Amino acid sequence: MTISDQANQVIDLVKAAGASGDLIIDQGESVSLKARDGELEEYKVSSSQIFGLRVIKDGKVGTAHSEAADSDALSSLVEQALTNASFTAIEVHENILANEASLKTDDSVLCPVENVSIDEKVNFALQMESDLAARDRVKNVPYNGVQDNTNQRHIFSSAGLSAYSKSRMCAAYAYALVEQGDKNAMEGIGQASRLFADLNANDIVDRAYTQTIDILDGSPVPSGHYDVIFDEEVQASLFGVFTLMFSGKSAKDGVNPMREKLGESIADTRLNITDKPLSVDGFGYQLFDAEGTATQSTPLIVDGTLNTLIHNSATASFFDMKTTGHAARGPKSTLGVGLHQLEIAAGSSSQADLFSGKYLMLTDLTGMHSGANAISGDFSFGASGFLYEDGQRLQPVRGITVAGNFYDMLNKIALIGDKQFWNWEKSALMPHIRFADMAVSG
Amino acid sequence: MLNHQTAQSVIDHGISLGADFAELFVERSQTNTISTLSNQVQSVESGIDFGIGLRLVYGTKVLYGYTNKPEGDELKRILSELAAKDLRDPGVSAFNFDYRQITDLHPAVRTLTNDSEVESKVAYLLAADVAARAASNMISQTRGSCRQKEQHVELFNSEGLHTGDTRNYIRTSLTSIASDGSEQATGSWNDGGLMGWELEHDISAEKTGTEATRQALVNLGAKPCPSGRMPVVIGNGFGGVIFHEACGHLLETTSVAKKASVFHDQMGQMIANTAVSAVDDGTMTKQWGSINIDDEGLDTQRTQLIKDGKLTSFLVDKIGAEQTGFERTGSGRRESYKYAPASRMRNTFIEPGDANLDEMISSIDKGIYASHMGGGSVQPGTGEFNFAVTEGYFVEDGKVKYPVKAATLISTGPAVLKEISMVGNDFSLACGMCGSVSGAVPTSVGQATLKVDDILVGGNA
Repeated sequence: MTISDQANQVIDLVKAAGASGDLIIDQGESVSLKARDGELEEYKVSSSQIFGLRVIKDGKVGTAHSEAADSDALSSLVEQALTNASFTAIEVHENILANEASLKTDDSVLCPVENVSIDEKVNFALQMESDLAARDRVKNVPYNGVQDNTNQRHIFSSAGLSAYSKSRMCAAYAYALVEQGDKNAMEGIGQASRLFADLNANDIVDRAYTQTIDILDGSPVPSGHYDVIFDEEVQASLFGVFTLMFSGKSAKDGVNPMREKLGESIADTRLNITDKPLSVDGFGYQLFDAEGTATQSTPLIVDGTLNTLIHNSATASFFDMKTTGHAARGPKSTLGVGLHQLEIAAGSSSQADLFSGKYLMLTDLTGMHSGANAISGDFSFGASGFLYEDGQRLQPVRGITVAGNFYDMLNKIALIGDKQFWNWEKSALMPHIRFADMAVSG
Repeated sequence: MLNHQTAQSVIDHGISLGADFAELFVERSQTNTISTLSNQVQSVESGIDFGIGLRLVYGTKVLYGYTNKPEGDELKRILSELAAKDLRDPGVSAFNFDYRQITDLHPAVRTLTNDSEVESKVAYLLAADVAARAASNMISQTRGSCRQKEQHVELFNSEGLHTGDTRNYIRTSLTSIASDGSEQATGSWNDGGLMGWELEHDISAEKTGTEATRQALVNLGAKPCPSGRMPVVIGNGFGGVIFHEACGHLLETTSVAKKASVFHDQMGQMIANTAVSAVDDGTMTKQWGSINIDDEGLDTQRTQLIKDGKLTSFLVDKIGAEQTGFERTGSGRRESYKYAPASRMRNTFIEPGDANLDEMISSIDKGIYASHMGGGSVQPGTGEFNFAVTEGYFVEDGKVKYPVKAATLISTGPAVLKEISMVGNDFSLACGMCGSVSGAVPTSVGQATLKVDDILVGGNA
């Protein structure tokens, strides 16, 4: 059976049961390589597919998933979803959208064809690992890899929606473990591209090595309050931890601290944050959301004022507004909301102004999954980086913590740089922001 | 789940490609997850995961693939693709599968196969919500969940092994959100085990609700935490995450074999204070991190990692054994068929001592009592780790003074192990999920309350 045949079987059964529904089918193929001591250590290939069904019957929502795709399994999928729906409370705001659109992403942009052999990928992995291992004081390269992933998503609904996207991401990364006497350090970096040919092993080796050697002699700075700038990797992760602040679903559930602050100033007036799903340079590109709603650029914070929360059709209905095209749902999950691709607008501060005076440039934060509370905004992370004064590096810094409240931090912005940077995974585009008066323990 | 003859022909094919070892890991898992929001059922989700992981080993090189399609031709095609660069002279299969029936040390009763028992679980979660709200009128919201999983695994390998196991997991949790109008704070409580919904008899909705609310209220009234180096008393149960991060990950051959662990060459040496003895035990009856056999088909075991401060064992899987020369410890684990197995922890804990909490608190001039801990992480190569305090108190002049807001504790494994000076007698275990190279696996952490003489506290005061 083709994908369409399978989808038709499921949707027909849903309709026959007097329900409405939508079906997500995710498919993926990947190759993953890791090297060790000049030899290939791991070679992994995979192909997978999973069906995730959401049904609504008598106002009640149920979901179910299956990795088996034979006819019996798909029938069972529908039965399970209907059974699950019978246990839930009536949810008047969640409906299958009256959307008959036929949507398709452009393969030539998101999934370009490339003639590259497995030998070339293997050689890339081996060269990257052995070149980095050969550098001075590098003990080994314990974490490294090359990946080529292609993912497809189909969404079909009982209202006639048919949406399809396909994208490819090639990535490579390497972490060097450096030892000198009784000191050691491990740092690394990655690259992501839609074409394997655009990956550059020499650049990864150079940057991973430089980062690790530079931090090797790091030591704590005295406890106190410092101006802090996060590098492009760390800053994107930090904002990612607190995206609950934009969630319409969390607002509906009563746990978003910003739910009463629409139209209010919540940040420095120089801060402008927009979700830009249609920027093809990033890997957060989305033509449509998980309900098949076409996406658009969404200003979230405008001149420091909270402009909107992000919504799917259900959370939007609850707040008596229209969906913003931020429905998120995996085959195994219920309907939620999610940002696609955050962009913070460049500010007006020159790089010279941004990097003047004394400040900490933090290049690594640890414990980001456990050391933060997105509801209260409180956080405390392990950190490392460099102490600078007027652009001159005074010392590498390790063994410190940085703590604070993220929502307070948005009002403690000293400067916003005039250049934007992608993080290496190309999920967020941001300028450097200098935060004032951050609590550091050393 | 996979036809015996099909498995034999696929394994034969792997050996014919010159591999030293070939293995099939077949998995079929059933899940059911219920979520509540306040006094309503928010969602019920269920499903079937099915797939086959194929592993070929050439020397110490691992080739791995997986698929949802159980047909013999598809499985052989994947093996051929994997081995294309490693073809050697064909090996000869000289085995017959002899099914090894395992002894189930953790028989479950109320399993998903029998009945998902949604009504009963919903009743428990709603009772916990009632208890949480009854404990305080400052609770603005609760979130509850009950997740049950029944995992069937079957293993075939070129050493003639054919065995299988069924694992029943269940976990409940409730989070209370307290609000005073201007600030919000959270508290949570969870239970779980390697069992079915008979867990219901071991847990209490009243305790779940009141504990989640108590912690939320403590955090709502907490002051900023002092920062700097100081002594910290770490509570029992989930406090054991300190050993999990500071030491456990560094003893997995996944890191040891790569020399990416600071302890890789320390076997037999004193790596901790003499007050510290530590164990990783996969055999504990119905414990969250227990298993009958590991995901390479080997019986699990109790492994003494540290005895009176001396390193006595690593956690060793098949590849780790070949790379390091140490005996396997039944520690090869993986989240699912999508991952090659790796050496992983099971139920990992510091053994109890004879100190008590009052002695530890009274020995501190200025420090922190971290009664409840959150998660953490570690960089094995350097031993640098962090973990989060979710309920903590400032201690001064030997007395607990006031609650403090969330803080992170950071140190390195080798340093902190030598700073554990007192271990209490109130031992307990707690459930967690551990993420690493072979995915997220259920693990327990545990300890009695213990005192660390010197560690960096990342506060905001």
